[in-house]
Amino acid sequence: MEEPDTEPPLVVVPGADPSARQLCFAWGPAEVLVCETRFGRADAGEGAPGSSRVFVVRRDQDIYIQTLRKLFNESHGIFMGLQRSEEELAGKSRKAQLVQVSKNYRSVIRACMEDMHQAAVSTRDPALQGQYSTQVSILSAMELIWNLCEILFVEAAAAGLLLLRLLDWVRLHVCDVDSMVREVLSSENPSKHKLFWNVVDVFVLQGRMDEARHLLSKEVTANPTSMNMYKILDDLMKKMPMPSLGNTQTLTELELKWQHWHEECQRFLQDGTFASNPHMESICKILVGDEDAILEKKELMTTWYHFLVTRLLYSHPTVKPMELRFYAQSSMDLFLGGESSPEPLDMILMAAFEFEMHQVIKECSIVLSNWWFVAHLTDLLDHCKLLQSHNLYFGSNMREFLLLEYASGLFSHHSLWQLGVDYFDHCPEFGRVYLELHIERIPLNTEQKALKVLRICEQRQMHEQVRSICKIMAMKALRNNRLGSALSWSIRAKDAAFATLISDRFLKDYCERGCFSDLDLIDNLGPSMLLSDRLTFLGKYREFHRLYGEKRFPEAARLLLTLMTAHIAPCSFWMTLLTDALPLLEQKEIIFSAEQTYELMRCLEDLTAGNVDKQKFQEDDVETTKVEMLRLALARNLARVIVKEGTVEGS
Amino acid sequence: MVSVINTVDTSHEDMIHDAQMDYYGTRLATCSSDRSVKIFDVRNGGQILIADLRGHEGPVWQVAWAHPMYGNILASCSYDRKVIIWKEENGTWEKTYEYTGHDSSVNSVCWAPHDYGLILACGSSDGAISLLSYTGDGQWEVKKISNAHTIGCNAVSWAPAVVPGSLIEQPSGQKPNYVKRFASGGCDNLVKIWKEEDSQWKEEQKLEAHSDWVRDVAWAPSIGLPTSTIASCSQDGRVFIWTCDDASGNSWSPKLLHKFNDVVWHVSWSITANILAVSGGDNKVTLWKESVDGLWACISDVNKGQGGVSAVTEGQQNEQ
Repeated sequence: MEEPDTEPPLVVVPGADPSARQLCFAWGPAEVLVCETRFGRADAGEGAPGSSRVFVVRRDQDIYIQTLRKLFNESHGIFMGLQRSEEELAGKSRKAQLVQVSKNYRSVIRACMEDMHQAAVSTRDPALQGQYSTQVSILSAMELIWNLCEILFVEAAAAGLLLLRLLDWVRLHVCDVDSMVREVLSSENPSKHKLFWNVVDVFVLQGRMDEARHLLSKEVTANPTSMNMYKILDDLMKKMPMPSLGNTQTLTELELKWQHWHEECQRFLQDGTFASNPHMESICKILVGDEDAILEKKELMTTWYHFLVTRLLYSHPTVKPMELRFYAQSSMDLFLGGESSPEPLDMILMAAFEFEMHQVIKECSIVLSNWWFVAHLTDLLDHCKLLQSHNLYFGSNMREFLLLEYASGLFSHHSLWQLGVDYFDHCPEFGRVYLELHIERIPLNTEQKALKVLRICEQRQMHEQVRSICKIMAMKALRNNRLGSALSWSIRAKDAAFATLISDRFLKDYCERGCFSDLDLIDNLGPSMLLSDRLTFLGKYREFHRLYGEKRFPEAARLLLTLMTAHIAPCSFWMTLLTDALPLLEQKEIIFSAEQTYELMRCLEDLTAGNVDKQKFQEDDVETTKVEMLRLALARNLARVIVKEGTVEGS
Repeated sequence: MVSVINTVDTSHEDMIHDAQMDYYGTRLATCSSDRSVKIFDVRNGGQILIADLRGHEGPVWQVAWAHPMYGNILASCSYDRKVIIWKEENGTWEKTYEYTGHDSSVNSVCWAPHDYGLILACGSSDGAISLLSYTGDGQWEVKKISNAHTIGCNAVSWAPAVVPGSLIEQPSGQKPNYVKRFASGGCDNLVKIWKEEDSQWKEEQKLEAHSDWVRDVAWAPSIGLPTSTIASCSQDGRVFIWTCDDASGNSWSPKLLHKFNDVVWHVSWSITANILAVSGGDNKVTLWKESVDGLWACISDVNKGQGGVSAVTEGQQNEQ
């Protein structure tokens, strides 16, 4: 047995006096029931009654948050697209495709954040507002992490490009300074604003040189004395070598240029060029990558990873992916400076900078409240063929493990379960059996829903489940006295026993009421009539009635006889059939031939002589009368038919 | 995030001994020392009392829902030596069968997989296990295994239905040849596996590892692997996971999940068998999960306590 890395979290169930009782539990399809009890049979009947409450405990409640619905639905679409995407594409185009998928996921997260934010702003309920705001920050953190993973793992940005991407990343996500920037820029006289230099610093720290220069130019127009210093600084900032996207220079070229430029900045600094203007001097210090100068601007950077990127920009812009880990750890240490300890988010980002993919996934699993994030991210990384290369023997199973967890969670939702089906489809090892186990638990509240579930099972050849669902629906219909529906369900389930049961009910109803219900169904049984003998009889018997109704008496008569002689009809029904024969016997036209009449008589004798209800026949007056009437009618018919058959035409 | 989403106030007048959700999670059945069995509709976080069933003359220990294809059927067993089967007919719940064939308290009832028909196994303190099979028209056939466990039987649990051999669809109406098995735990410290052969129930295996009364056994649902898994817990504080790798069911090997400090009363598998819940004497329900390399780790504790609910994010120990 393993010892887990962290203490298993405790969920406390409200109750009184923990010392007195124990907890009894049971699994539901999607929850755990917990109630207080005291085990031990010896206590039978004694002791204080205690709490009479049962608690329903569940996981994955996030699926019920309305505003996250879009996240689940749209990411499902992206997921499916990814599974079906062209695997034949290789190299660059495949990578571009995967990066696009990653961007799609991120835009869904952002859209959801936007919705959540709107919801938070428009609600008046403070509790709800708090909930929404929490959700917004969780989504924001997710997007931050995903974006970094996209840069480092999916796109696997190489040195040069890596820095550009990280700069974008920081600019996008460190938003705390945005309002300050806006305020200064929109003021009448920005250079007079007390936060002016802060904003310039922000631009410099984020490598936004053009914007910094633009602001600086405003300052110098207001303050012409610093014109010289300004010109030099502006020039330095303009010349700063940056990695370019167009591949117009190699890494070595860039490094050389940068070295040169760096030395130039150093010289101006050492010469005391900016000594009289502390603001400009500190900017120049930043340009040469002076850590202390950069750290002084802590509040403007707000996070250690911003600090990391700024450091890299001004000390090692050609940083290689594998070198990140060293800078990351020291950046975090320097930034936090022993005053505060890293939060879970920090640890996750650190793991990413260290290229510990599994660690990222593990930490995210622990911190986040549902499986959505890790399931989709891991799936994407798996498609990038990154998990296998990590040589952990459950590498490929981890994707499936997470997808199974995520999809299982969806199944307890009344409509999201349909998404879960698709996820299970793409889990090659256990997806099918998980689907089988979960799909049986979907409440079949309406016929429509049952048909939907059925279609899903049929498409996947899940025959057991099809049968099971049809049987359940048939039983339900029977309980509600909807015989027609029950019959069609049991035919679909190919359940002969049930079909027999329902046919018996139909026949019983007929005997009591003299007519059939659900004629349409019975008339159109077709080959499914053969499912059970009783059902066949029901179909044929109805056919008899139809023939009779259409006055096709000879055919009706023949059918009637066959029903008895071929033993399609159960013995219990023979009396009814013979009674049905009466009107045919009484017709003016002779319908039954001599032979047929003899057959009928034989049937009657079989029925009355030494058979099941003999006792009953003798006691029941109605029955005796019926038998007598039949005998009379048969005899009369026989007489007529002998004469008719014996008569030669024309004589 | 694990959280309490609903609290059902059952208004039982005495200790509740068991609570079970039906197949779909829409209904809740509870039973208590107050001799009653109650059924609630718990859809959408609500609670509506559907039935208050009286018929037992002693504390009711367990309830079990039958598969919905047989209708709405519930079984209950009690200290009064009776097993009662209740059925919903025309919107009302009624007693449909009462079995009084045991000489002392009936401790556990468990319905067989629906593929076998409507069959109920009952374990009793008189050491016997009864199997009640519905034969149609309100009739039940009884088979009894006397002296299944000396002193008493505390728990019964069915193995999932697995069709041996071919996967070809059987012709309609014909039942495939299932091999029916179930596990039982008793006061003789043993877990036993029973198999039906020629319409007779025979003891197939004796699993020995516990040093005190076995309180509960739970056979894990099948996820398509050729292995079978049983969890057992005992007064000796231990929970074992038994696995059998071969299809003939001959060699079972135990793995100790954990040794608790107190009696372990109850074990149960989630519906996809990936989580095992264990309730111990120390007011906790612990949830255990098998990591992919075959080791078990505790993933969560559900505990009773004072005051409000504090839901803590759940950890997943998926890679070690």
